[in-house]
Amino acid sequence: MNYLADGFVQAFALLAAVDPETFAAVWASLKTTALALAAAAALGIPAGFALGYGRFPGRRALRLISDTLLAFPTVLIGLLVYAFVSRRGPLGEWGLLFTIAGMAVGSAILAMPIAVSLTAQAVESLDPRVRDTALTLGARGFKVALTCLAETRYQVMLAMVSAFGRVITEVGIAMMLGGNIKWETRTITTAIALETGKGDFARGIALGFVLLAIAFAVNAMLVTLRRRAAR
Amino acid sequence: MSALYAARNLVRRHGERVALRLAGFEVARGEAVAVTGANGAGKSTLLRLLAFLDEPDEGTIEFFGEAALEPRRQATLLLQEPYLFKRTVFENVAFGLRARGQTRELAAKVADALGVVGLEPKAFAPRQWFELSGGETKRVALAARLALTPLALLLDEPTANLDAASAEAVRLAVQVAKERGAAVIAASHDRDWLGGLFDREIVLG
Repeated sequence: MNYLADGFVQAFALLAAVDPETFAAVWASLKTTALALAAAAALGIPAGFALGYGRFPGRRALRLISDTLLAFPTVLIGLLVYAFVSRRGPLGEWGLLFTIAGMAVGSAILAMPIAVSLTAQAVESLDPRVRDTALTLGARGFKVALTCLAETRYQVMLAMVSAFGRVITEVGIAMMLGGNIKWETRTITTAIALETGKGDFARGIALGFVLLAIAFAVNAMLVTLRRRAAR
Repeated sequence: MSALYAARNLVRRHGERVALRLAGFEVARGEAVAVTGANGAGKSTLLRLLAFLDEPDEGTIEFFGEAALEPRRQATLLLQEPYLFKRTVFENVAFGLRARGQTRELAAKVADALGVVGLEPKAFAPRQWFELSGGETKRVALAARLALTPLALLLDEPTANLDAASAEAVRLAVQVAKERGAAVIAASHDRDWLGGLFDREIVLG
């Protein structure tokens, strides 16, 4: 058991010394997640709003597909994106494989159904008085829709925080599309997997602490947002 | 007085159930009309039709307001349980004015409307929606409608769940709306509150 205790001690030492290799992995994770969430928010929130607010043929089928994609296995996303961005793939020229951008593409696909489904759900469960109130105060089509979206803002933020938690903790996409390249695409999760395999528990534990701290912050945000959404 | 509304042979269904059946009526500009009847008689349904939030399944409603403006921007409904947007009181009261692009002297118009419903503008304008009591919520929602100086002010159970002081504040606000030229049509069970304020009654059911 000594190696485990030593691992904890060394982990704190690494964090206290702001070990560059450890924090390079943290930085790679944060960059990938930020890019993925920006893309998922830009495309997923409008799509989710359209699915929840609009009434058009095929809406239910699209909702079902989006809900099903919530359970999309990350290794499958990794495999599919790999097939597209590998040198022989149709997007091979873009040079995305083993880059932060490549990992962000896979992570965005992971985050997208969360943004779409949870936004759609929030809009569907919106109090019908919101629309009535906007209408009776004289708002028209687009303004009514914007008002409805604004009223679901805390739920939409909840959706994005959930997506953040899912993306930053996943390992399959980061491993397959990032290639776990030291100083470049090694993320928190792929570094933990590698260091554990090498028997270097200290760095694994240190990164685990960082991940736990992020998870704690995410959950604290979720609790605050839920409380605000319930007002 | 010239007519503002003329309704004929109104029928509104919720699924199979007939929620409202009414032969017809007229409401003149500036007139105050009480809509009474038992629960389920169709009072709220009628007000939603008059606010142009729903359309009748049968019959017609003619509106003789300003021809240049769509009717829904001249008639406004205070719901029985009004909704305030998740914004400040100021933004809630200003919402309709902004929607119309009437942003000149916005602060003065909001302050006036809050004053009419008996809420001190300086104290209430910056408050958030969750910092209000039930009575204050209703008064802010009423202020948001009064700020629009509508031709028709439609009120659904405006004194439901209000204490005496708030009910009196709403009564005074309705009086001001009448003086400013609005036709007021209110559905209510509160006969004491209706008494003296309304010119006549439409009985449903």
